[in-house]
Parts: sequence; structure tokens; C-alpha cells
Amino acid sequence: MDFLLSGQLLFAALVLGSVYAVIALGLNLVYGTMRLLNIAHGEIVMVGAYAAFWGFSLLGLSPLVALPVVGVLTGAIGLFLYGTLFRAQLAANKPVAQLEASSLLLFFGVSIVMQNLASLAFTATPRAYQHLDTVYQIGGVAMTGNRIATLVVSVAILVAVLLFLNRSIYGLAVKALIQHRDAARVVGINVDRVQTVSILAGFGIAGIAGALVSMAEQISPFMGFPFTIASFVVIIMGGLGNIVGGIMAGFLLAFIEIYAVALTSANFRSILIYGIFVGILVLRPQGLLGKARRS
Amino acid sequence: MIRAHGLPLAAILAGAAALMVFGLGSGSYWTIVALNLAMWIALTQSWSLFSGMTGYISLGHVVAYGIGAYVVAFSFKIVPLWLSIPLAGVAAGLFALMVALPVLRVRGPYFVILTFGLAELVKYILLNVETGLGKSSRLLFGAPKPDTLLWIMVGLAAAATVALYAVHRSRFGRGLDAIREDETAAETIGIPVVRLKVLAYAASAVIPGMVGGVMALRSTYFEVLQVFNPTISFTIVTIAIIGGAGDARGPILGALFLVGLSEVLQNASPQIYLILLGLCLIGCVLFLPTGLVGLLHRKGGAR
Repeated sequence: MDFLLSGQLLFAALVLGSVYAVIALGLNLVYGTMRLLNIAHGEIVMVGAYAAFWGFSLLGLSPLVALPVVGVLTGAIGLFLYGTLFRAQLAANKPVAQLEASSLLLFFGVSIVMQNLASLAFTATPRAYQHLDTVYQIGGVAMTGNRIATLVVSVAILVAVLLFLNRSIYGLAVKALIQHRDAARVVGINVDRVQTVSILAGFGIAGIAGALVSMAEQISPFMGFPFTIASFVVIIMGGLGNIVGGIMAGFLLAFIEIYAVALTSANFRSILIYGIFVGILVLRPQGLLGKARRS
Repeated sequence: MIRAHGLPLAAILAGAAALMVFGLGSGSYWTIVALNLAMWIALTQSWSLFSGMTGYISLGHVVAYGIGAYVVAFSFKIVPLWLSIPLAGVAAGLFALMVALPVLRVRGPYFVILTFGLAELVKYILLNVETGLGKSSRLLFGAPKPDTLLWIMVGLAAAATVALYAVHRSRFGRGLDAIREDETAAETIGIPVVRLKVLAYAASAVIPGMVGGVMALRSTYFEVLQVFNPTISFTIVTIAIIGGAGDARGPILGALFLVGLSEVLQNASPQIYLILLGLCLIGCVLFLPTGLVGLLHRKGGAR
């Protein structure tokens, strides 16, 4: 059992956890402020990954340099979807249940369209590129440069978003909207503007995460789906709309995943993820870390 | 009752039936098309029996299909087909009954995601069971010809349609309607909410179980990943939304639309087919919340 104490597993879990936390954070912002269930979230990650790939292979741009551009690109996709599909519905103040159901179906449509547009444009063949793949030995743990970069950038994003939410006036408005939509409107918060900020941030972060992931994983039009699932598992573990809970749950899921797979075998990975998922939904739908919410 | 609607159920049924009979009479291509059509009708009507009636959107209906397929494949050449196909339905229904109580306590978006996760969980458990048994796939040599299977499938599609039609007109159906409108209110006025939900959930799994069994025979090949493909669940929901889940005609119209679109485009470009399907779904959610059936209502004079 000594291998469980090795830094190698710890490092792998931290990297994976930071990626889960970042991707789920984007999903959580969009759900929390607008109650939109974005099951096309993984497709945004996919777009970010492709953008980084093309930037690197056509322009020789390091994905790390391209991160802001990728974020703006996927943020713009978010704004487009918000303007065309959701703004009117949100303004009409429909019941939450109806909004959740219709957003789920709309985003499902968006996800099919995006997957297949990507498949038409880039073919279904998986792609990959090599960048920052030098192996460093730090304290007896082998780390590739791109994984170190992924960890550092992800943690920086998490810290930045938390600071934004707690310190900036816009961030406080986002939090207010998450806590209570109607009350936020009553106290004079410009709901539409806050929603725009959340969409930009949520989609932008997902794209940036995709660019990070693209350095170490294969890129394909269908790579998004597992990320959608993982991020839903994470935000449900953390409590839907609970930002800090979601970040903690991202790391928790990664630790469970990495260590349980190390203990058993890779075959059990999916059973484990979905088992946790179903178990939490049935036993504690408000999330492991969440307080009971009114549904 | 039927005449009150724009285009009678009977006419739509006749059209779908004509296509299927045509499928029986002429070569294998149309047999397969008709088989697919009947399959989607059977699946979507069953889905509608629970999700359309109660408003609990299930994104994991494939679990019944997969379990049914597994029962038939597992017992192939051990149990005769006239017994194993109904058994597939029973097994799927029993599974739904078993998980119904905990699953149906969960509501709203949690329920939608839960049904999806549950189907995936069962998929990966069975995948490991099959790997443990040393069977990565099973070949079903000597399965009945597509013609025979088409008859069974048409029977299942008709049964599912009639079932939905009957439920719509029954006390049971009224109860389910009440749950969709306001579950708490329904409970307060004495509707046995839990019992109705559990019954509808279990009932809606039976026919998909048998459909799964038939489709395993159709492909003469069984593989867990293939029969538990989440795309099947998603397609069912898409058909229901495009066709409209309000009454028994919707799923038939939706299935006709989907199979038609797929026959025209699937071979030319599967991507364009799926892009159009996605756009149709988005369009229906935004502009046609009652689906193609709603369009019929409007033409036949709104009431």
C-alpha cells in the first residue's frame, strides 16, 4: 500500500482536481445565476481545446499565451447563445422548473449541433500536439511541464474568481443573484448585466480549461461529454449553485477517482463515478457540502 | 373524442401502418426502415406514458432497453424467444419497480440527471459483469429474420400507442396529469401520488425492455456499450419534443419525422443529419412547445 503515499498519485489528483474544479465552476456560475442546466458545457471545453490546438499548430502560439483569446472566444459563444436562446425566457420570469427543463433541452440541441459542426469542420479523427512535455523530477515525483502549468493556471483561475466574487461589486452582484434572484432585482441590481457577466465568465473559463486540457489529452469533437458528466457530478456533490462547495467537490472527486482506480483497476472508474453520482442524488440531493435548498 | 382533434389519431396510425406493411412487402431496405420507425414509436410512446404524463423527464430510458436486450441475449438458445422477449419486458419493469421509490423522490433537474446517471451506472456494472464472464460480446446466430421481428415490433408499437391512449382517458391518467400540474396540490387532495408515479414508471419500462430484446435479435449481436448507448435515450426525448408529448399522435409524428430525416440524410452526411436534428429540437422548444401535434391542433382550429 506504500504507493498510495507516493507523491505521484497526489500530484495526479491535484492536477485532475484543479481541472474538475475549474470546469465545474463555469457550469455552477451559469446554473447558479440563471438556473440554466448547460449540458453543452463539455462542448465549450472541446471548442477551447480545438482553438488552442489550431493556435499552436497553425500559428505556433503557445496555448498558455492563447488562453485569454480562447476565453474571449468561448465567452462570445456564450453571449451568442444567451442572446438568442435564453435572454427572452429569463426576462419573462418563467417558473424555475420550466426554465430548467427547457434549458436542458435547448443545451442538448446545442451540444448535438456543436459536436457535429466540429466533426464536419475538423473531422472526427482525434488530434494531439506536444507542448511543454519535458519531464521534471521534483521531490522524486515526475511531472510534465504542461501538467504543472495546468495546475498553476487552474488554481490561479479559482483564486481569481473567488476574489472577484467576494471583493468586486460585480462579483457581489453575481453572488446576490445566486442567493435570491427576485430580491437581487428588488435591491436594484441590473440582472441582465450580471447574467451577461456570468455567462462570459462561465463559458470563458470552460474554454480556458479546454485549452489547458488539450496540452495533455487527445482532442476530438466528442471529447466534451465526459467533462459535462464530471462537472455535473461535481456541482451536485458541492450543492447546485454553491461555488465554494463546487470547488471543494472538484478536488474531492479527483482524489476519489485517482486513489480508487489505483486501488482497484481502471475498469471500475466509471462505476465509481456514476455510483457516487447516483448515491448522492438519491441520498443527499442538496449535495454533500450543500445546505438544504428550496427546490 | 378522436374527431375533436385536427388530424385524427386513426389517420396517423393508418399512415404509419401503411409504411410498415409496405416494409413487409418489399425488400430488406424498407423492412429495416419500417422496423426503425416501429421501434422509435414503441419507445417514445412508452417514454411518454411516464415522462409526458407526469412531467418527470427521463433521460435514461435506455436502461430498460438495455436490460431487455441483455435478458434476450443472455438466454438466447436457452429460453425460447416467445418466452424470453416477454421476460425481457418483465425484467425491465421489475428493475424500474425496484429503483422507483428512491429515484422518484428526486425532482426537477436532479431527476433528469439521475435517470441518466442510473442508466450509465447499470451499463458499466453489466460491462464489468460481462468482462468477468469473459464475454466482451455475444453473437446471436440463428435469430429470426427481420420480417418476423418487424411484426413483433409493429405489435409493440401498437401496444404502446394503445396503452398511452387508454391511460390518457383513464382515472390513472388524470392522476398523472395532476402530478404534472402540481404534485403537492395533487397529494393534498388525496391522489396517491407515490403509487401512481411508481406504477407509471414501471409500466413505461416494460415495452422498451421487449423492444431492446427484439433489437438485439435484429443486430444478431450483443454488446453492452451498444445497447446502453445514451444516444437512444436522447433520441427518445428529441422525438417526443419534436412530435409533442401531449397525446398519442405526437410520438408517431415525431418518429416519422426522425426516421424520414435520417433516411434522407443519414447516409449522405450523418453530421448534417444530427445538426438539423439539434436545430429542430431547439426550434421546437422555443417556438413549438407542443410539438408537431400542436401544429395539427392549430390547423384544425384551436380549442
